[in-house]
Amino acid sequence: MHIFSMKGMTKKEKIRQIKDAPVLYVPLLQQIGQAALPTVSVGEKVKKYQLIGQAHKGLSANIHAPVSGVVQAIEDYPLADGTAVPTLFIKNDFKETEEERTIFRWEELSPDEIIGLIREAGIVGEGGAQFPTSLKYTLDGKRIHTLIVNGTECEPYLTADYALMEQHTGELLEGIRIINKVLQAEQIVITLEEQNKELVKVFAPFLPENPLVRLQILPNEYPQGGELQLIQSVLGFELPRNQLPRDRGVLVNNVGTIYSVYQAVARRIPLVSRFITLSGEESLHYGNYEVKVGTPISHLLEELHLSAEGKILVLGGPMMGKFVEYPDASFVKGSSGLLLFRKQVVERQNCISCGYCVEVCPMHLMPMKFEEIYRTGKFFKLEKYQLSNCIECAACEYICPSNVPLIQSIKEGKKKIKELAHAIR
Amino acid sequence: MQSVKIQYPPFVRANDSTSKVMFDVILALIPCLVFSYFAFGFVPVMVILVAVGSALLTEFIFSMIFWSKKNSVTDGSGIVTGILLSCTIGAFTPLYVVAFGGAMSVLFGKLLWGGLGRNPFNPALVGREFMTVFFPTVMTSGSIWYDRTAVNLSGINLFDNELLNGLFFRPSGAIGEYSILFLTLGGLYLLFRRRISWHIPFALFAAFSLPLYLLLYLGNSLSFSLGGLMLGAIFMATDMPSSPSTSSGKIFYGAMIGLTAILFILNGVNYEYMSYSILLLNAFTAPVNWVFRPRIWGRKLDWSNRLGQGVGITAGILLAAYAIAYLHQIGGIQYLLYVYIAFCIIRFNSLYIRKRI
Repeated sequence: MHIFSMKGMTKKEKIRQIKDAPVLYVPLLQQIGQAALPTVSVGEKVKKYQLIGQAHKGLSANIHAPVSGVVQAIEDYPLADGTAVPTLFIKNDFKETEEERTIFRWEELSPDEIIGLIREAGIVGEGGAQFPTSLKYTLDGKRIHTLIVNGTECEPYLTADYALMEQHTGELLEGIRIINKVLQAEQIVITLEEQNKELVKVFAPFLPENPLVRLQILPNEYPQGGELQLIQSVLGFELPRNQLPRDRGVLVNNVGTIYSVYQAVARRIPLVSRFITLSGEESLHYGNYEVKVGTPISHLLEELHLSAEGKILVLGGPMMGKFVEYPDASFVKGSSGLLLFRKQVVERQNCISCGYCVEVCPMHLMPMKFEEIYRTGKFFKLEKYQLSNCIECAACEYICPSNVPLIQSIKEGKKKIKELAHAIR
Repeated sequence: MQSVKIQYPPFVRANDSTSKVMFDVILALIPCLVFSYFAFGFVPVMVILVAVGSALLTEFIFSMIFWSKKNSVTDGSGIVTGILLSCTIGAFTPLYVVAFGGAMSVLFGKLLWGGLGRNPFNPALVGREFMTVFFPTVMTSGSIWYDRTAVNLSGINLFDNELLNGLFFRPSGAIGEYSILFLTLGGLYLLFRRRISWHIPFALFAAFSLPLYLLLYLGNSLSFSLGGLMLGAIFMATDMPSSPSTSSGKIFYGAMIGLTAILFILNGVNYEYMSYSILLLNAFTAPVNWVFRPRIWGRKLDWSNRLGQGVGITAGILLAAYAIAYLHQIGGIQYLLYVYIAFCIIRFNSLYIRKRI
């Protein structure tokens, strides 16, 4: 499916900095899994890059201070979508006092040491999934033959990855070399969208010194940037949803994640900031920005003299992003953009079984069935139509002429299934 | 129709709507309506207007009473139903019968099922069955189809070829069938706009033609209306709510309509074979969708399982087709409709009381 992309508005924009916020709200849960445990206490001074949240056991990630200052409070505070998570309030002293750190030559480090540095830096997948990257690289003896570097930013409007590839090409490739010291893949494929193929010229001068790397142009399809769709396009097989890519010798990483790996390993800078795109019809400023994790969304708006009045804010892309309930919530490690749209009223109509959603579903599901089942309350039937295979890309609802609440039914339906499974147990 | 503040993605949407879908269907039918004027002047035009007016009025009143909804007719589906119904009947059908048909098509074809999209049967064809059952003498008389005195244009000789001229324009049959050429062009427009897909019409024609040629080859003759076949294949069988949603399901569904239509003709259903076969397959749309559901990403297709289900559903359809043909022969179709009426009313009431519809 093709979506009008709007990327032209922002893709050539230089990545800009904004003035730091006076108070940063740094959530201790910026990854899937468990919240990190605070390592500092209220009133304590923290340095920039200092560890402030220690990864919990199991699935979790470290959190670091993006600025220097004083811990004002540690309490529950909402994420953009309204869910409250333990959060550190850091009052910025604007002194930028940095934590001391030793820089190693990464070429001399062992794979395990590199993974250790990645774990320490709290890196999680920046494509949106926020899966702890060090766990992804822990291969349990599996061999990786192909590393796919995901530069296929298929969400409309977003160009942060484009800007990164264009403006930090050297660092990105060094990040790739670092990762491949761990993975030892035989080929590394950087995937680009057809509409961004001018990046080939940007990468060209770097390719001779990176012989394993090749570029692959993929069609402007949505959701081309999905992990499973990428693997299919690059390697030609369909990986079932319940299998891990590494089981088939593949690993997919977002360019943002790889850039963070470079920062963490080559410069010993933990993941405390990321690139985002500011766009949307109601945004008066269009561009790519570097924001510190923990910066309130409202701070960025204020800095750019933007008002959210009468608009809706979306954190992430327009297809899979989150509706911003609390503009005072923060940007987190997985936030890829901030979009401003006109407030709109969606008129929901009955499904007319046109079948468009079935046609566009990348997982070959029948999305309209999920709405029908959810509406009639027969939740146990959701799995009959393989709801768990849904990647929530929202292509179905995008194309729906009746504006059927498909994504709502899918997301709520998944919750219902969890509740049911829980009740049975 | 409820309005909600959006909280869930996506935050961008394709520039499309149900009314645009309906508008495209109306646009595709307009040339045929123009040709009905060429054929018999304002007589068929009145039929169309009455059918549409009656359909819209019924929808408006019903939605006001039961759902307190004032804008129910704005989606345009009532207009489509009215036009399609008039396309299937003769130009000289008495207007009170047409009005009855228009009202019944939306009432029993759509509204009692819960409104647009919830209907398992094609509303226009449901309306047509009501007309046949409740006004049998009118609907079976030859006079509703043709009146020599009212002929506006008996032919347009655009081509040098008798056959082509006949396909271009011939004032015989039902209102929608006067120009087979423009029926086809309307279908191509819908195909181009992706409002229908090729699967249903293609499979229908193929499954209709193969046995037809076989019969002709064996020296049998078969009489059928090409216009009716086209109208059914392009505009009736492809009706979105009542037809399957998956590509393979559409092919199976179209093919079974073609095949059962032939069976009906062979079993003495001389005029209503298309209506019967489409309505029959409508009833099987849900199981067809299930049996022909797409193969999930990364999974292998369980061929033996699917094949078994496919054979089962085919047997069910053929059995039902023979049952209907038998019922038709003994003149019992109206009882089927009575049962349908009772079912619709009881179902609606029980759901309405529980506020589920």
